[in-house]
Amino acid sequence: MNRINFIFTVIFIVTSAVRIDVYAQEDQCFICHDVLGDKPSELFKNDIHLKMKISCSACHGGNSKSDDMDIAMSSKEGFIGVPKGNDISERCIACHSNEEKMKAYGSNLPANQHELIKNSVHWKTSITGREHILQCTTCHNAHGILKVNNPASPVHSLNIPQTCAKCHSDAVYMRLYNPSLPVDQLQKYRTSGHGILNSKRDSKAADCADCHGSHEIRTAGDIKSKVYPTNIPKTCAACHSNAEYMGGYKIPIDQYDKFKSSVHGIALFEKNDLSAPVCNSCHGNHGATPPGVESISKVCGTCHVLNAELFSGSPHKKAFDEKNYPECETCHKNHDIVTATNALLGVSDEAVCSQCHSESENVKGFKSAAEMRSLIDSLDQAVILAKELINEAEQKGMEISEAKFRLRDAQQAKLEARTMVHSFSLDKFKEIVEGKGLLVTSSVIDEAKASIDDYYFRRYGLLISILIISLLALALYLYVKKIERKNTG
Amino acid sequence: MKNFWNNLYGWFDERLELKELVNFMEKKYVPVHRHSIWYYFGGVSLFLFIIQVATGILLLFYYKGTEDLAFESIQFIMSKVEFGWLIRSIHTWSANLFILAIFIHMFSVLFEKAYRKPREVTWITGVLMFFLALGFGFSGYLLPWNELAFFATKVGSDIVGAVPLIGEPLKIFMRGGEDVTGATLSRLFGFHVALFPAIFSSLLIIHLLLVQRQGMSQPMEFEGKKKHELKKMPFFPNFFLRDLILWLLVLNVLAILAVFFPSELGQKADPFAPAPEGIKPEWYFLFMFQTLKYFPAHIWFIEGEVVGVLLFGAAGILWLLVPFWDKRSSRGERNKLINYIGLFAVMFIIVLTILGWLS
Repeated sequence: MNRINFIFTVIFIVTSAVRIDVYAQEDQCFICHDVLGDKPSELFKNDIHLKMKISCSACHGGNSKSDDMDIAMSSKEGFIGVPKGNDISERCIACHSNEEKMKAYGSNLPANQHELIKNSVHWKTSITGREHILQCTTCHNAHGILKVNNPASPVHSLNIPQTCAKCHSDAVYMRLYNPSLPVDQLQKYRTSGHGILNSKRDSKAADCADCHGSHEIRTAGDIKSKVYPTNIPKTCAACHSNAEYMGGYKIPIDQYDKFKSSVHGIALFEKNDLSAPVCNSCHGNHGATPPGVESISKVCGTCHVLNAELFSGSPHKKAFDEKNYPECETCHKNHDIVTATNALLGVSDEAVCSQCHSESENVKGFKSAAEMRSLIDSLDQAVILAKELINEAEQKGMEISEAKFRLRDAQQAKLEARTMVHSFSLDKFKEIVEGKGLLVTSSVIDEAKASIDDYYFRRYGLLISILIISLLALALYLYVKKIERKNTG
Repeated sequence: MKNFWNNLYGWFDERLELKELVNFMEKKYVPVHRHSIWYYFGGVSLFLFIIQVATGILLLFYYKGTEDLAFESIQFIMSKVEFGWLIRSIHTWSANLFILAIFIHMFSVLFEKAYRKPREVTWITGVLMFFLALGFGFSGYLLPWNELAFFATKVGSDIVGAVPLIGEPLKIFMRGGEDVTGATLSRLFGFHVALFPAIFSSLLIIHLLLVQRQGMSQPMEFEGKKKHELKKMPFFPNFFLRDLILWLLVLNVLAILAVFFPSELGQKADPFAPAPEGIKPEWYFLFMFQTLKYFPAHIWFIEGEVVGVLLFGAAGILWLLVPFWDKRSSRGERNKLINYIGLFAVMFIIVLTILGWLS
């Protein structure tokens, strides 16, 4: 097999050399400049365009057939010298946006790069005010442009991080355009799973363009950007949910599906909550890597601060560390985190506590879990009852808005109690549920009941009042009649 | 016990010469005829006004007339103050019944031509009190500082602003600025509890004194009849006690309304919130509000709304001056035109109110 490869390689090199030689005889620009041994012609030898028999004149103008320098490089022949500013890209666009021309050269490259790059942040006006921030040559080079799949090309997957870093790691340069943008992306990337694979020359590993796009690179705040919060899960899933692509990596490919139905996914996709965490919130973006077992609570804790703090101070921290349990994930899972309900707490089969605690093993925790569940259930029932009574009182037309407002404190206590679960301290939990939640609900319930009683009291009161007033009116009527009879008599 | 009352009466009589008053009362008679029922609505209006004053004073003990506290203070009255709900509901309902009673009283006077000479001033004070009652309604409506009241006041004061020349300054005066704000609340509160009651009470005293001095007006057909042909009843105690019976019945109605349909409070006013749909004024302004809706955007070169407001203004002035342009009634001649005008006004108010209610 190696022998066959060797033979083919030799044939390719020989035929290419012959082709260059034959073509070069026709391309007088290249012949002269090659003789001069200048750098552009040296680089151009390997350029894909030279291989496609595209002369220097395609970009520089002039007559490439003439060996007379005065004629070849005369303005009459359209010679423009070295293109400047946007003219550089215009020379590229002239062919690369022309589908027919590209087909004529046997290229299957898309002809929409120009259309795409128009939307790119790089296509904005540079600080000079005369040109785009980037030209095509900034990433692809000017002479010596290679195919994208050529490992030597600056836009080959293995080289893209370095190519982008030319500008993006240059603090002085980046400050001119976006001073708040970090310049350590490459450094972080090298520590990421993707970056490590890239360093190992795995071209399948994600590079900058895989996440940000190549020509159509938008700012992260642009809703159409591939790295806009709502688009990130799909951007990551493009590789991570592709069974074929991820074949050799031995990692699951169901993260996206799980995330979609998770509490975070629902917040993001259904409620359009941009503060909901997406892949990079937990894994990092440029330094993307799964959080380690010991750091999960810190990662979740960036948002769930109190829960993380309480957990770190709880007896479970030590126990989990000893058993190498992934902190939050042990009870809540990772990608498919669902809304935490009371069912997670307690000693029933579906409760997570019962995974480690039973009547015979870790008994103290078992008892605490059972009592915590009972307390939070009582609070739930009390809140439901209070709501029902308030509703009834309101329907009866009673003014009970203050008690209704106060019931929010019970809801707040419920939330606090759920947070306090992470301390795994029965006393602290009890203090909130009983000291705050049940105290409020009981006063609200009393007030609502009193309001309903008052409703009936008003009706009975009305009945009695009407009777008294009517009797009085009747008595007066009879008295008037008596007087009138007396007067008539 | 009897001696005690006699002594007490004697004590006052010695100082105030009550005997003259008693003699006057004893000699005062009320005509009895098929339209006598309408005499009672003046008394009902008075009774409802007394209730307004009494409940209003009680509400003042807890009400706070500022933008930050008005809504909350009413909420407090409705939920925490003993019988606060009852006082507020009775205040609200008696306000509505008060205006209804005035409407009935005023139209009965019109149809009976009771405004004719020598009772022109009684009519004028009555109509002015009617206008003031509407003012009470408008100013009181904003006081709970809820969403509906806020926007209704905005719409209402905008209509005032449509009056040519004086409209805009009047609107700014009424609002205490360009827009409806806490300043408007303070201002309308002041009108509601101080300015209007002071003027109303003065007019009421004049109105009642005139009624007492001139006696009840008799229907025109009674004029020319001999004394013994006229049926009458003593004002005191007969008519007074009958009045009292009606007052008790009205009190019953008020109690039923207050218990079964207590005043609602709604949402606190938020000046930055969009106006809720279907903003309508109180029922007694509805016929005017609805009429203005039917006016085209422009009539000739004047805005339709301005024309409408001017027409209502002119109608109000004509209404006030009825005794002066209806000379025929004063001469004792029948004037059917007044009946037609009155009938048209009643029908107009009823139909437009219903249309406004349904729209």
